[in-house]
Amino acid sequence: MALARGRPAEIDWSLAHRRFVDERYLLYPAMAGVFLLLVVFILFPILQVIQRSVAGPEGVTLANYARYFTHPRIASTAWRSLWVSGLSTVLTVSLAFVFAYALTRTTIPGRGLLHTLALLPLVAPSLVQALALIFLFGRNGLITARLLGADVNIYGWHGIVISEVFYCFPHALIILYTTLSAVDTRLDEAAESLGASGWRTFWTVTVPSAKYGVMSASFLIFNLVITDFGNPKVIGGDYNVLATEIYNQVSGQQNLAMGSTVSVILMIPAVLAFILQYYFSRRNYALISGQARPFLRPTRRGAARAFGAFCWLVCAMILLVYATIITASFIKLWGYDFTPTLRHYRFEASDGWQVLWVSLKISVIGGIVGAIFSLLVAYIVEKKQPPGARLLYLRAVIPAAIPGMVLGLAYIFAFNRPGVVFYGTIWILVIANIVHYLALGVLAGIANMKQIDRSLEEASVSLGAGVLMTFRRVLFPLSRVAFVSSALYFFMTSMVTISAVIFLYAPDTKTAALSVLLLDDAGEAGEAAAMSTLIIAVILAVFLLVRLLLGRQGFKLIRG
Amino acid sequence: MVSLRMTTVLAALMVGLLALFGSGAGAEEVVVYTSLETDEVVEYLKVAKKDMPDLDVKWIRLSTGDLGARMLAEKDNPQADVIWGWAVTNLIPFAQQGLVQPYAPKGVERIPAEFKDPKHHWVAIDLYMAAFCVNTEMAKKKNIPIPTSCEDLTQPAYKGEVVMPNPASSGTGYLQISSLLQMKGEQAGWEFLSRLDKSIAQYIKSGSKPAKMAGAGEYVVGASFEFVCAKLREKGAPVQLVIPKEGAGYELEANALMKGAKRPAAAKRFLDWAISENAMREYAKWKAGVTLAGMPQPEYLPGPLNQILYRMNFEWSAANYGRVVKEWEKRFLR
Repeated sequence: MALARGRPAEIDWSLAHRRFVDERYLLYPAMAGVFLLLVVFILFPILQVIQRSVAGPEGVTLANYARYFTHPRIASTAWRSLWVSGLSTVLTVSLAFVFAYALTRTTIPGRGLLHTLALLPLVAPSLVQALALIFLFGRNGLITARLLGADVNIYGWHGIVISEVFYCFPHALIILYTTLSAVDTRLDEAAESLGASGWRTFWTVTVPSAKYGVMSASFLIFNLVITDFGNPKVIGGDYNVLATEIYNQVSGQQNLAMGSTVSVILMIPAVLAFILQYYFSRRNYALISGQARPFLRPTRRGAARAFGAFCWLVCAMILLVYATIITASFIKLWGYDFTPTLRHYRFEASDGWQVLWVSLKISVIGGIVGAIFSLLVAYIVEKKQPPGARLLYLRAVIPAAIPGMVLGLAYIFAFNRPGVVFYGTIWILVIANIVHYLALGVLAGIANMKQIDRSLEEASVSLGAGVLMTFRRVLFPLSRVAFVSSALYFFMTSMVTISAVIFLYAPDTKTAALSVLLLDDAGEAGEAAAMSTLIIAVILAVFLLVRLLLGRQGFKLIRG
Repeated sequence: MVSLRMTTVLAALMVGLLALFGSGAGAEEVVVYTSLETDEVVEYLKVAKKDMPDLDVKWIRLSTGDLGARMLAEKDNPQADVIWGWAVTNLIPFAQQGLVQPYAPKGVERIPAEFKDPKHHWVAIDLYMAAFCVNTEMAKKKNIPIPTSCEDLTQPAYKGEVVMPNPASSGTGYLQISSLLQMKGEQAGWEFLSRLDKSIAQYIKSGSKPAKMAGAGEYVVGASFEFVCAKLREKGAPVQLVIPKEGAGYELEANALMKGAKRPAAAKRFLDWAISENAMREYAKWKAGVTLAGMPQPEYLPGPLNQILYRMNFEWSAANYGRVVKEWEKRFLR
């Protein structure tokens, strides 16, 4: 290993020279380009927000911050955000850990299906998910009121936590699944053959070896929850958190300065979470060995039953939410008139199917461009580690710490100027979506790069291949699966995202997910459900298409 | 080899997509921002197309607050030429900040003075009013009487069964409390709101949401506005529209010309059309009331407008917005 990690012992100087030239003419300009793009599309817009939070009539002022912290109830939104995010994180990560453990370390039947089902929440606009939860568990919910006859109040912090767990579960699962399937299971076997009980092995070997994965997932989820605005808005009742306070300020009171101030306050814990996440994810992958060899002995019957029951229960809940959305789209009126109908799909109250086409365009372009860009960033950060790589990484992940609504505003501040040709076209939406979800793309890309043993790249270089050739012939084929999964990830998020789009869409670029929001606004719940069903159908169809084109192997790691 | 195949597929996709981007229109164009509901806009614009076949109306619909935030953020380089059907309470401060420019559309003299700005910054076309959306099925089940006034809602029977928009995030919420404060005078108004607060289950962020929640049976009474409730009823929800006996607060929806409009000629044409007889007749099919006299009124209203509305003072609403919201937050924010 030592040899592989270091430089080859003897270097042919002509090859070394070639490598040097390659780096100078290809890598450095590419890096400069990436840096520039990140400055223009991330740093610059964020600075615009910060600037608005401190701009006073006479120069720089901290008056807005003073106002925030002296208003006792508004200041409490920070604590509420921390509480809701912390609790959701603990719950989500615990559930996802057990689930990932069942998928990777047990032999319960139907693991492939369970895995696919568990990731389903990724393909629906989160707004509809929260609405479906109310349909099911609200005060007049199908389950709570009609079946159980209970008067349950889902609105409030507990409602937020429940819907956030739903929303974040697949994200945590992706990380923990990767972690648990990459950690060498031979350690577990060794522990067991040394006489340790199952529990003891679990607590002394499995958990410690996955602990950085757990930390990494935790910070990611914390971040997702604290910046999420949709779920608290729909199901939070009058429990105000930071993200909804931004909405109160910006949309309710048209106070962009105060909205910017609260955004900056929100960015502090969110960015902090990402810095810690970075730290832990580096540790995590240091434990992953390229030679990890998953081998599973059949799980004991009792344990298999318990794990099976748990997993199917989780998936049943997820399916229930989906069934609710789809059913609501095919019946006259949820809760009162269950006569089947297709009329919602005529979209008489809106501009119809065209929005779906716009979404498809934005999402396919976003998927491809996003995947290329995030892999490029991951490659530079992970494989090249130039001076300032950490800064590069930090810049790439900061947008995840910004609520979509604020990103949308920041983009108006930054790019709504004469001469900016892409403003008002679908490209501004493509860019905003990529930037908003870049963090996860880059994280996944880094994870992938780490799994490619450096020795392969070095072998390629010492055989005389340049950077470009190495990237094309070695790294790209090995990252192909990561590329596809990353492209699908950007595709999916672009299809379902709403918050940044609200401020950036132009008359010709209204998206399907936005249409869901507007239909729901107008009281057209049936049509909103129908549009959501179409979005889900399109995403699944694209997944299927990719699978057909690339075969089973290409699809397998979409989940990973 | 798989990678080659994939590269080809990707390349084909990219080329195909790039080919989609060239699109041009020859007609005169105008960009309109509106808070009128999407289904209405689609119908109105059919009339506009008939009246002005050569005008291509591009439009965006967002809720009052989201649209305002967007206009404010875009103000250095406005994308819209026209604001169409947007809350006057929001428009007045925008006019004061110079985001819109005066324009007197053709035929503006037919609109009564109370529905337009004397300096022609805005002209109202219609109004919507505060109303309760009551779920009759749930009321029966829980044995709660149908309320007829705001005062009724302070009774213990309604405790935890009323939802109302948060005035700090919803224009409807603000119009509700603003009308009550104007009606009762400030001191009595706040005192009333304190009593009402005991019945309120939630202060929600959007103005249409309370009606929808009542429609879904989540709560018995949603304090909202009239047409959402009428629409829910049309869809089959067991709801009843109640206009409070004290008189309903209302909001005017108005048009304005954006300052810095890039297509001023087309914008003025559209604004002229937007208060024309044809347009008003079409608005009247959807709205509780339009600002041109002699238009029919929807059947779901219990009486003529001048009897059910409380005369609002919009200048007061706009001027006291910040103070009232702050006071409300101090007293009732949870």
